[in-house]
Amino acid sequence: MKDRTGARAAPLFGLPAVAVVALLLYLPFLWTTYISFTSYDGLASPVWSGLANYKAMFSDPDLIGALVNTLLWVVGMITLPVALGLLVAVLTYGHKWGTWLRLPFLLPYAISGVAVGVIWGFVLQPDGALGQALGFFGLPGAHTGWLQAGPGNTIMMIIATTWQSAGVNALLFVVGLQSIPTEPLEAARLDGADGFKLFRHHLWPQLRAITTVVIGLSLVGSLKTFDVVWVMTQGGPGTSSETLALSMYKETFVLNDYGQGAAIALFLSLVTFAASILYLRYQLGDAREQG
Amino acid sequence: MQRISKGKAFTALAVVGAVALSACGGGAKPGKATADKPVDSLKFYNDKGGWKDAFTQVGAASKKAIGVGMEPVGYSDSNTYTAFIRSSFRTKEKADLFTWHTGKELQDLVDQKLVAETTDQWTKAVADGNVPEQLKQYFSYDNKQYCVPLNAGYWVMYYNKAVFKKAGIIAAPKTWAELTQAADKVKAIGVKPFYQTNILFSFVWFETLLAGKDPDLYDALATGKAKYTDQGVVDVMNEWKKLIDAGDFSDPGSKTEPQAQLKNGDVAMINFGTWFSGNLNTLKMKAGTDYDFFVIPNLNPSLPKTSMIFETGPVCSAAASDHASTVKKWTDWWLTPQAQTDWANSRGDLSFNPKAEVKDPGLAQLNKDVNGYRLINRWFEATPVPVANKALEVFGAFVTKPGDPMPGLQKIQAEADAYWAKQK
Repeated sequence: MKDRTGARAAPLFGLPAVAVVALLLYLPFLWTTYISFTSYDGLASPVWSGLANYKAMFSDPDLIGALVNTLLWVVGMITLPVALGLLVAVLTYGHKWGTWLRLPFLLPYAISGVAVGVIWGFVLQPDGALGQALGFFGLPGAHTGWLQAGPGNTIMMIIATTWQSAGVNALLFVVGLQSIPTEPLEAARLDGADGFKLFRHHLWPQLRAITTVVIGLSLVGSLKTFDVVWVMTQGGPGTSSETLALSMYKETFVLNDYGQGAAIALFLSLVTFAASILYLRYQLGDAREQG
Repeated sequence: MQRISKGKAFTALAVVGAVALSACGGGAKPGKATADKPVDSLKFYNDKGGWKDAFTQVGAASKKAIGVGMEPVGYSDSNTYTAFIRSSFRTKEKADLFTWHTGKELQDLVDQKLVAETTDQWTKAVADGNVPEQLKQYFSYDNKQYCVPLNAGYWVMYYNKAVFKKAGIIAAPKTWAELTQAADKVKAIGVKPFYQTNILFSFVWFETLLAGKDPDLYDALATGKAKYTDQGVVDVMNEWKKLIDAGDFSDPGSKTEPQAQLKNGDVAMINFGTWFSGNLNTLKMKAGTDYDFFVIPNLNPSLPKTSMIFETGPVCSAAASDHASTVKKWTDWWLTPQAQTDWANSRGDLSFNPKAEVKDPGLAQLNKDVNGYRLINRWFEATPVPVANKALEVFGAFVTKPGDPMPGLQKIQAEADAYWAKQK
């Protein structure tokens, strides 16, 4: 006879973990959802306001600007760091000094986003390191305000973040390259495939799974961009470099409009969730078709 | 293996549920009175993490004088601090003492009955001459007072004495014309005359120019009786643009701290509150030797009194504090000349108490002379939060890339219209 005692007791062992997750994750999420439909300043009790916060969000030109900047971050982060990471991985894979060649790209990943912001802030201010270097070599642009007008400031911050995150992408791609069986590659080489041709027809298709992961992570990361922007420009000058995550922070903790902040938070969560699902379904669907 | 009964499983579920619900409960209601429990020491929450040493010295002095110590809990980020204090009112842990802002921020707490009333303390302190009568307005709502003053700051122009000497400036400017002449002399030796930034303190030159040109318009703007698009405001913005275009300001995007810029001689003058003396002193700059300050002359020389920007911040206590009698004992002491002498000199700063013996001779003289000026409430406190936030964005963009000020002013006015419409 089958002993079912363990099976029956098993859910009980999971209860503490479920309770902690519910307490720290789901209840705050439900609370945030509720708050987003209210007018709430953090002091008096929330007052139901229906869709007012959502209407205000989509009619505020500054928030539309933040949405555009966020999209710029998405495009930037799923192209630059991914492409650079792939390039570094492919060029160094199999090389005798590959590990050492990848190291300079990987080291910045050990630095926090805030520290990256501080460092690049000093580099990019008008009399900063970049300006001084350009001036020293007699090149134009020594007095450019790199962070002082949009969308240039957002682009410069995407470059700064690329500097930090390309290394980890390279590492992931190397893992992907290591998982490719060597025999088909050797066969392809014997057939005369080399260089870009080998990459295009043999390596790239087999890197598909890891590329899905890398782009998926970049997508989610870019949608919630906050730290680098906060440290480097605080969303300014004006609101020229503000992202949705920054707008959420400003509405909640600077303007004490918790309802509006919650509405942006919920919108951002839904966009991130929807983008992740759509992207993964598309990628996995394609993979199944090919499989 | 022992089988777990349905009863035990149900109990476990109930316990987990109860824990979850109690965590969501939120504790005591805001403003609910609780029993008074005298204590030996009070926690003093503040958003001035850099002032920790001075607060600690004052805590030791209060322990010695009245047997009640004070332990500072300092935050360095103002937004985090504000969110913490606001949310603390929805918990059982009400702050005994905490720094706050005057203006709308204090009114929010008063409207919700969250801060302790201090009318009796104010009446006595004013009668004793420990707090100037003119400070009362910033702490009054419906003729009742809340909180006590933390500090009083007057906005003046700090300057690097070595730079002035090198530029051949013998005396501190007394008129706007002399100030611009000094700026030209400083520029001639390759130093930027004035400090400016595009974050937070981007409002400083706006308030200085407006207060010195048309203080009545300044006050009307703060109360919603004038518009940011009025010609007087546009004129001030154009005056500001003229100075920026003339190269009179430092790089507004610079990450170098203003006190370091003044010490290094990167800028000659910085327009700041008298608390800036404390920042300079921490860099080992000596008042009267390495730096000094002068009262900023009016842009409009025909005004009867020189306008001087004034700021004050409160020390408040939660209405539902568990330690009300100890808080009163401590704040009574805080208002005395002895406490304020200790406080002012611990930071090398001024005090709101005119009887405090301030060691810095320049600051002491200013403390005596303030009644001769037209005191103007600092723009940051005088302006409602949403309007100030929008204006800071506009000013930040303007100092970075000055152009036609009208589109920016229209943005601020739109925010002001929305705000004042809600107040009616």
